[in-house]
Amino acid sequence: MFKEKGPDVTFSQPVEEADGLKTQEMIINMGPQHPSTHGVLRVELTLDGEIVTRAVPHIGYLHRCFEKHCEAMNEYPKVIPYVDRMDYVAAMNNEHGFAIAMEQLMEIELNDRVEHIRVIMAELQRIASHLLAVGTFGLDIGAFTPFLYCFSEREKILDIFEKASGARLLYNYIWIGGLMNDVPDDFKTDVSSFVKTFRPKIKELNDLLSNNKIFLVRTANVGVLPEKVAINYGISGPSLRGSGVKWDLRRDDPYSIYDRFEFDVVVGKGEVGTLGDCWDRYIVRVREMEESLKIIEQALESMPDEGDVHESIPKKIRPPAGEIYSRTETPRGELGYYVISDKSTSPYRVKARAPSFVNLSVLPAISVGAMIADMVAIIGSIDIVLGEVDR
Amino acid sequence: MSENLEIPRANSIYKKSTEERKLSFLERIYLPEIFRGLWFTLKQMFQPKFTMQYPETRFDPPPIFRGRPVLVEDNGQERCVACGLCARACPPLAISMQASENSDDPKERYPTFFEINMLRCIYCGYCEEVCPEEAIVMSKDYDLVFSEREEAVYDKTKLLVRKEELKERLDYLREYKNRQFGSFWNFDEENNIHSVRNRDKRWETSLSLVEMIEQQRKEAK
Ligand code: SF4
Ligand code: SF4
Repeated sequence: MFKEKGPDVTFSQPVEEADGLKTQEMIINMGPQHPSTHGVLRVELTLDGEIVTRAVPHIGYLHRCFEKHCEAMNEYPKVIPYVDRMDYVAAMNNEHGFAIAMEQLMEIELNDRVEHIRVIMAELQRIASHLLAVGTFGLDIGAFTPFLYCFSEREKILDIFEKASGARLLYNYIWIGGLMNDVPDDFKTDVSSFVKTFRPKIKELNDLLSNNKIFLVRTANVGVLPEKVAINYGISGPSLRGSGVKWDLRRDDPYSIYDRFEFDVVVGKGEVGTLGDCWDRYIVRVREMEESLKIIEQALESMPDEGDVHESIPKKIRPPAGEIYSRTETPRGELGYYVISDKSTSPYRVKARAPSFVNLSVLPAISVGAMIADMVAIIGSIDIVLGEVDR
Repeated sequence: MSENLEIPRANSIYKKSTEERKLSFLERIYLPEIFRGLWFTLKQMFQPKFTMQYPETRFDPPPIFRGRPVLVEDNGQERCVACGLCARACPPLAISMQASENSDDPKERYPTFFEINMLRCIYCGYCEEVCPEEAIVMSKDYDLVFSEREEAVYDKTKLLVRKEELKERLDYLREYKNRQFGSFWNFDEENNIHSVRNRDKRWETSLSLVEMIEQQRKEAK
């Protein structure tokens, strides 16, 4: 594994003398108030000229005691608004994961309508989250225009969510055993019209950004994450698939009703550079949006019109004593919830395995040897959400 | 691929120049690419405007929207009977209240003070969900501004909103939530008047619990 040199290395001594010039390594802080760190992340960079020789991420600025908070709640449903706030750009997926964990613990069976709505919501949220990731990644690198188009598409998804749940970002929509309320009557037409208008936009995005020469130069061969390193570090989600590993929990460990749908697991192929570079991670996200569209279309087709979304919500949520670990695939990777219940109405312990946190751990390994300007691309390409890193 | 797992160097930098793709002639003169980009932008100019000039035109949320929670004022009086359920259900403990009784009032219990700390509220909607009186509902207000922390603690003067102004949300709750929860859960007007006075009447004396206590007190005097 990658070994840190440790903070005791002194950089005050001139490292090298070339042509009578004294050169010296320099430490600079990237962040916490840096627009490209996607939140409040501080990366301590040691630079040799323009080359990064060491990068140490410092986290914890957004720590909100999520896990302790859950224990303090006196009812299980009260955890759900806090789950939303972990990965705030993909709140639906977080709720879905927690609801699945609790349902496994309490052995609740859901009807088909609830499952279908949940899958549609989760996939829409995946598209919205990838749009944000792709848009801001472009923005970091200097492409301002695609960012705006990505956001306008994302807005349409948020409109659908708002119509169903009443909120635009933190929904509190997927409840343990069901949904907050049924979707509006025109939900199906809304979603299918969105799917129809969104397909060509992906092509537009590819024209505008993916194959843009400047973008290619900035991302191809940058921040290469080899397959073995990715697995060693426990990377998951699009960042892992960008390195060519075909691993997607929706296919490999199906939860909810994902085993009923046909879709491909997109992996990076190293088309424009080395396998596992920033561009591969980026393009996996873009192509995954198409796969999500496929899932949504299939789900819309098979979604039953009848079914009470409150049918299996328990009157009192008091799970039997025991523990559960359940994992789901969020836009950022494998999100696991470990819940211990002591037969009371509140959890004894909740542990969240946040994908962003694990994915961030690879940053020191892949940024050594990169130029300082490439740091922005590398951080953007692993797509972290600091709310989830710090929890 | 780099086999050095100790330090997987971003091998790129030094090799990049040799690995670069050759540009075709059209790409080398750049002009077609530039016009392609400009054409895309030009097309967007004739699309309908997507944004909203916020302070001038305001977003009018649909009734399902969860804005700031408000108390319903019914005939100059709050509907709330100070049962405390909303305070109990509130995840970030934003609600605080004090119940008091008033025997002249048909609903007797009312909150002497009722405060929601808007800095704590997370707009989850649980308070509305649990309220048995439909007394606290989510309104359409979404832009709250404070200049001091004390200002952010909303008391009854700020929370009470007349029933007529909340008609849309109340109708929505009636139409939509009740349909889902079943017909047993309907908020009739009479439902909003809760009196312990008329509850638990004894069949032999036809006196309620409260009245019996009052009678006992009178006799004791
Ligand atoms: S909306 Fe949620 S946080 Fe706000 S007062 Fe109601 S229960 Fe509390
Ligand atoms: S739940 Fe409703 S009736 Fe009870 S205290 Fe809250 S607002 Fe008042």
